Amino acid sequence: MERIPIPIAMLPQKSSSFSQATVREEKLGRNLSLGAIKLTEHIERVKKDAEDAAAAASDKDKDKDVAAGSAEGDAADAAGDGETPAPPPHEEPSLAELSAEVDDFLASRDGDAPLSISEVTLDRFASAVEVEIAQSEDDEDKWAPGEDGEQPPLLAAIRRIATLASALTASGGNNGAEGAVRYTIGVHRVTGVLHRAMTFVEDEFHELLEDPLVAKISHATDPGSASAKAMRRPPSFGHAAGAEQDRCVIPSSEGSGGGGGAEASQPFPAETVERLRAMVDAMVAAGYETECTEVFLVARRNALDTALLSLGYEKASIDDVVKMAWEGLETEIGTWIKAFRHIVNVGLSAEHDLCARVFAGSNTHLGRDIFADLARCAMLKMLNFTEAVAMTKRAAEKLFKVLDMYEAIRDGAPIVDAYLSSYETPEKGGDSRSSSGAEALADLKSELVSVRARLGESAAAIFCDLESSIRADAGKQPVPGGAVHPLTRYLMNYLKYVCEYKNTLEQVFREHHRPDSDDAPGHDSESSNPFAAQLMEVMELLHDNLEAKSRLYKDLALSSIFLMNNGRYMLQKIRGSPEINAVVGEAWARKRSTDLRQYHKNYQRETWGRVLNVLRDDGGITVKGHVQKPVLKERFKQFNAAMDEIQRTQGAWVVSDEQLQSELRVSIAAVIVPAYRSFLGRFAQHFTAGRQTEKYIKLSGEDLEGIIEELFEGNAVSMTRRRN
Amino acid sequence: MPATDSSSSSSSSSSPAHHTSFGRSILSLRHHGFPPTPDHSHSTDDREIDAFQRHAADLLLDLLHSDAPEILSLHWTRHLLDSFLICLEEFRSVLFAHAHAAALARAPLDRLLADFFDRAVKALDLCNALRDGLDLLRHCRKHLAIAAAALAPSPAGAAQLGEGQIRRARKALTDLTILMLDDKDAGGGQRNRSFGRAPKDGHQGRGHHRRSSSGSGSGSGSGSGSGSGFRSLSWSVSRSWSASRQLQAIGGNLPVPRPHDVASTGGLASAVYTMAAVLFVTAWALVAAIPCQDRGLHAHFTVPRTGGFPWAGPVTALYDRVLDESKNKDRKHSPGLLKEIHQIERCSRHLMEVTDAAHFPLDHDKEAEVQGAAHELVQVCETLKDGLDPLERQVREMFHRIVRTRTEILDCLSRPNANTTE
Repeated sequence: MERIPIPIAMLPQKSSSFSQATVREEKLGRNLSLGAIKLTEHIERVKKDAEDAAAAASDKDKDKDVAAGSAEGDAADAAGDGETPAPPPHEEPSLAELSAEVDDFLASRDGDAPLSISEVTLDRFASAVEVEIAQSEDDEDKWAPGEDGEQPPLLAAIRRIATLASALTASGGNNGAEGAVRYTIGVHRVTGVLHRAMTFVEDEFHELLEDPLVAKISHATDPGSASAKAMRRPPSFGHAAGAEQDRCVIPSSEGSGGGGGAEASQPFPAETVERLRAMVDAMVAAGYETECTEVFLVARRNALDTALLSLGYEKASIDDVVKMAWEGLETEIGTWIKAFRHIVNVGLSAEHDLCARVFAGSNTHLGRDIFADLARCAMLKMLNFTEAVAMTKRAAEKLFKVLDMYEAIRDGAPIVDAYLSSYETPEKGGDSRSSSGAEALADLKSELVSVRARLGESAAAIFCDLESSIRADAGKQPVPGGAVHPLTRYLMNYLKYVCEYKNTLEQVFREHHRPDSDDAPGHDSESSNPFAAQLMEVMELLHDNLEAKSRLYKDLALSSIFLMNNGRYMLQKIRGSPEINAVVGEAWARKRSTDLRQYHKNYQRETWGRVLNVLRDDGGITVKGHVQKPVLKERFKQFNAAMDEIQRTQGAWVVSDEQLQSELRVSIAAVIVPAYRSFLGRFAQHFTAGRQTEKYIKLSGEDLEGIIEELFEGNAVSMTRRRN
Repeated sequence: MPATDSSSSSSSSSSPAHHTSFGRSILSLRHHGFPPTPDHSHSTDDREIDAFQRHAADLLLDLLHSDAPEILSLHWTRHLLDSFLICLEEFRSVLFAHAHAAALARAPLDRLLADFFDRAVKALDLCNALRDGLDLLRHCRKHLAIAAAALAPSPAGAAQLGEGQIRRARKALTDLTILMLDDKDAGGGQRNRSFGRAPKDGHQGRGHHRRSSSGSGSGSGSGSGSGSGFRSLSWSVSRSWSASRQLQAIGGNLPVPRPHDVASTGGLASAVYTMAAVLFVTAWALVAAIPCQDRGLHAHFTVPRTGGFPWAGPVTALYDRVLDESKNKDRKHSPGLLKEIHQIERCSRHLMEVTDAAHFPLDHDKEAEVQGAAHELVQVCETLKDGLDPLERQVREMFHRIVRTRTEILDCLSRPNANTTE
């Protein structure tokens, strides 16, 4: 076996086993065949391209290439005639004939009488495959299955050369070893072409994988650049690529094998998937599975990234998020939730589907690992933001957004779990391989669990912080008129909103709340629903806080009005929201109602009890059947003064709840008006009509009703006007 | 402190990747076993804080010891992270063992802790960037694996390496180089995928085309405008993020506690300072080792030798060692100082050289040479395969631990404020 040194650059030149002339003809023939169809029109361009490209290469290389180019020119009408004596041009054995020969050789290797195959056949076959590839370069349907569902001829050719290469290089018994020895030149020729074929398939694979959406964006931002062209046609086999350099506008429908206009989530029409799968099959069959999965993985990762970007989600560092103002962050969280939900609900299943369809059959495990890696990668990037939000300074207003995020994560977890569990029951024979995918998903799952816990803890802590903010609200200034305190208003509205997240919060408290050591004991009894317990704690604190505030009023009646107002407000809010009502419970509401009635009674007693005493004939007015006029006069004076005072002060008090206001007025009127009327009825006659009556009886029953009707208006002005 | 102990044990068991690889420190073990004596006299405090500082010094010294794995190797980096995690755990238990919540919230300790956690937050972004870097290395490994598989001798050893195999290996290594260089050169001019260095046969137009496409960058289709080849991986941090700046923020102007502060905090000010220094030097070495965005080691860091900090020497020595490594001439343009990255570079360069201008069929010497280089490749592959995943998990653990410790301490800082108003 003689060894002829062949520099890589010159490799297609043959060994000395062929005559010099043959070598040249062979080479020319191959060159011709590579570009046979377009050669004449492109020859000049090719030369130019060769020069351009070689600028970076050494001068020596450049010379060689130019030489090759001109050799092709010379060869325009010089047909390679191989070794058969003087066959007419273009009558080399066809690919089909060569393929049959190769198939025979391959088939015979298993038999008793292995055939041999000549170097020339190997070389011609390799060349024929090259031609096949070069010719199909521009063919839109090159990867489409042939009629009758056969694999496309191009793939068939590539597969055949892959099988041939492995047969020649493998050492399956004597034949293999013999093959390696006997067909040295052929081996290099065949493996060389195979490798180039694989590179070609890899490029095509990548091109086809490019998301139409991505392509669109790229076009928009970078119209007509070399890269945009590369989207459509990456460097590929043969000369045709050179022609692309002049093109500027790429019809979008060509870019992805007719996939233009498809949805971002489902970018690949069935026939594209079909072609992708055919390519995967070819690459895996030739042992190029790592190249194949890498290209696929990176392309889809970038596509997912772009999808996220198009959903408005931008990566932010934790440092930035922690420092961000809430208004800005709130918007970001909204975007994040939208993007996250989209990825989980739509993106993942689309990728899963794509992986499953492209990597089918014996390649299923590859697709599964890729999907797991994709899912993990895309989701982890999104979870960074979540971690950051959970780390921001806690504040009451953040609770709802944190809960929204929590819900998004919570709802996403079962989807990931479902994928994971499908990995944990590996298909037979795929155990060791599927484990890497399972690991990636398990990793993702644990990250989801962890970030969910972090959000949950944060939400629970924010809610628990209410306690301290209530405690901290210890103003010394009573609200004028005994009106509803701003704290009550704020807190009840907040709690009402909180209870719209009731189920989530119950879950959060059950799963993520670690009771602080200092307030743990009080909660034990109600540990079945720690959220409700915490809410009640807040309500009780508010109640206590309000009682303390009520003591700021010097007037006990006003104090009762204040408690009534606030109690009423709380009750109204609770009754008005089924969610909060469900948490607080009827018993609590009843207890509060009882309290309210008590405040009401206190008020009645405090204000009107005294007035009633004035009107009561307790033995002072009528003594032994005789009306004591001075006493009667004094009583009327007292009554008038009391009403005057009440009208002045309590007209300015505030009961903004109309129902409560009217209840109060009705109950006051019910007590005082009949009493006064009867008092009048009994004693008015004892005054002489005219001056005396006018002096002591200033109010009629109707007047009294009128005064009562204007109590709690919070409007002192109208009172004074009326008085005058 | 039963409450502290239970929370610490529950929090570590709830961690997604609980590491049993490093044992609990002596200190925290002690706290676990039985509660310390209730009287927190200053002398006990001082002793435990001293013990913490000395242990930190020992851990760092171990990393520089001659028995230690080679500095900046994967193995060593994992040791480094272990040491960091132990320190953090001890720091945490020192804080909780000594300071009642109210004590932590008292000036100046509250301010010192807030400053420390500000720095720690920056380390979190760093952890994410490092994870990206490890991911990059994982992809590098795949390209190495392609080359290794292409050059692997066939089972019976009878066949020779064919042109196709050599080209495939070279292509994989070229892709690898582009992946590693990534942002630096934007891959332009490097890309010549399938054809060694000499395009031929009229395929010139193709190589040319590829170069122009990768050079302009948007061929990547990622829309990120990264200017890198279509294989490039996106980072999880924003594009403006810089590891170098982050390092400066972690270590810059680290305040040496004043004697007055040390005294008024019962020595805890020193513990905070210790932890901040360990955090910095760990982050520094990790950024040095692992590829990440805008990797630069410009952050200056000094510890006063006279401050009586037992770890001052080891921290400075570690810092200087890493700095020396970064100044090494043939590592200057490396994407990371990790020994394994160096090995990748070295053996892929070696293989490229060996296979450059190869003549087929290869003669015996050449074949042996190629096989030798391929063997190196396989070894690097194995090391990476075994080392990357655990390291990534540790980086993740570092992330989680920092977050958790921060949350715990900040909770403590905020709680007594509420209580005092009662």
